[in-house]
Amino acid sequence: MTMYISATFKELTRKRVFLVTLILTVLFMILFALGVRELAGVTGLSQASPAERMLNGMVLMVLGLFFAQLLTAFFVFFSAMGTVTGEQESGLLLAVAARSIPRWRLYLAKWLGHAVWITVYCAALFLSLVWAIHSFAGLPILIGDLLRGLVLFIWMPLLLLTLTMLGSVYLPMLGNGICSALLYGFALFSGLVEGISVYGGVNPAVEKFALVTGLLLPTDSVYRRSLYELVGGADWAGLAISDMGPFSISNVPSNAFLLYTVGYAAIMLLLGCRAFSRKDL
Amino acid sequence: MMIETAELTKTYNGRGGCRGITLQVPEGSIFGLLGPNGAGKSTFVKMLAGLHRPDSGRATVLGQPLGRPEARQRLGYLPELFRFQDWLTPVEVLRFHGQLGGLRPQETRTPAFRARVRDTLELVGLAEAADRRVGGFSKGMQQRLGLAAALLLEPELVILDEPASALDPIGRYEIRSLLKRLRSKGVTVFLNTHLLEDVEELCDEAAFLYGGELVAAGPLQQLLGSTDGGSGINWRFRLGGWLPETWTELTGALPGTLASLLNLAESDNQGNALIAARVTDREQAGYLCSLFIRSGLTLYESGPEPYSLEAWFIRMAESRQGGVRQ
Repeated sequence: MTMYISATFKELTRKRVFLVTLILTVLFMILFALGVRELAGVTGLSQASPAERMLNGMVLMVLGLFFAQLLTAFFVFFSAMGTVTGEQESGLLLAVAARSIPRWRLYLAKWLGHAVWITVYCAALFLSLVWAIHSFAGLPILIGDLLRGLVLFIWMPLLLLTLTMLGSVYLPMLGNGICSALLYGFALFSGLVEGISVYGGVNPAVEKFALVTGLLLPTDSVYRRSLYELVGGADWAGLAISDMGPFSISNVPSNAFLLYTVGYAAIMLLLGCRAFSRKDL
Repeated sequence: MMIETAELTKTYNGRGGCRGITLQVPEGSIFGLLGPNGAGKSTFVKMLAGLHRPDSGRATVLGQPLGRPEARQRLGYLPELFRFQDWLTPVEVLRFHGQLGGLRPQETRTPAFRARVRDTLELVGLAEAADRRVGGFSKGMQQRLGLAAALLLEPELVILDEPASALDPIGRYEIRSLLKRLRSKGVTVFLNTHLLEDVEELCDEAAFLYGGELVAAGPLQQLLGSTDGGSGINWRFRLGGWLPETWTELTGALPGTLASLLNLAESDNQGNALIAARVTDREQAGYLCSLFIRSGLTLYESGPEPYSLEAWFIRMAESRQGGVRQ
């Protein structure tokens, strides 16, 4: 299994995927940190109250993490959308799959190879973003909240990776990339719609729509739970992010729903292993 | 037997592929798989390599059912249209394949494995490019690297799908020499190729696929002797003093069974003729020689028809096309 972690690392670094992603991410982080610093300075000069400064910090964090989840999602799409059919079309898989390693292990090894580096990238992005907010906007963050938020923030792209890899067994590379991106966009859109709908009171149709899309692809639900945990859970979330328009969190996914996402990922992985084992290459 | 298949079938939604293939590949031999494009050769080879799942039929590779990791561990496979990771060097590719073949990461860092990698790269003529990225390789170099990956773990059976297709004449000569060396070491080679001269020079046995079906299989010389797989030798007699009525006189003088063996291939107004005959042995050819001389003809040349795989290949394909039309 470890061979694919190092093989994926070599692929990401030597094909300069990592380099380009890192340069653009660092650029984003610098701009973000500068923006936060400037805004914090402005609110400082206007002698805003500590509560106002904290709320402003939370708003900046929500916007930053929203953009960060887009970055990680695209990192997942572009690195994993051709895992099976892409490599089959290019001929990379032929010599590999004829080896004695069972296909299901090969599939899991590939998943693990991607998962490790996605985790590293996600963690670095998340922590540097939160650090910028904490340092420049003075937002207090507890270590427990930070860790819970981080784990869930990493879990989101891993779910996406699992779905994208399953799609790559059945669909050609480009088709799979489009399909995964559309599904992700669909889940994201339903979260935004749900955020707006809170202004009009409870809307059962919107709630059901969000639930169904959340069940289909739970990335946005996990992202919202990640935010909820990061801003202090039940203590602060209601105050801070219930009035942010499309970015509001009206419904926080429950622990049972998080368990569902674990089952979702396990089933997607099993289906992927099974389909890859039966696939004619 | 290193490979044994019985009624092995794989089709794509009922079309293409191959159907009911039954053949055996003996240990220590070089076996050639022949057939025109679309004959089902690649489908058959991919089933043997565990890349395709058969629809029906049975097969064993190295005594194990198809696709079993135990068999694949002792099998080297060179695919037809393959590519290696552009971003790796040949040494890294081989280390990666060593691990895919069941070696632990630490085992691929031992001096013994490094020496094995070096030797294999030297064997295929890539020693000098060992630390260059594969991305800069020509197609021929990639082919050599594919061969190195197939031979890395010292397999007992090597399945090669068009191994010399991208190589220049020198490269093809080297591959042929390499395959002969493998056979002398007792390695069985299963060769799928369009290069008939390679098959002629290397193969002990061959099989001919057409339209997804096995048309002929067996020792190469036996196959070349006939299109129907029967026994006997094709013999040619070049004669002088030929007259238009000679054919009638000649066949009339022979017993019916012997006369039916003769075939007037060519004749001209200058008194020259070429007779082809399917004789059971050299003695029978000798008897025909004496008959021609006694009939007053001049015997310029007599001998077995030179083996021509190309002619055999075309005859086989044409006979099947005729069969299909009927």
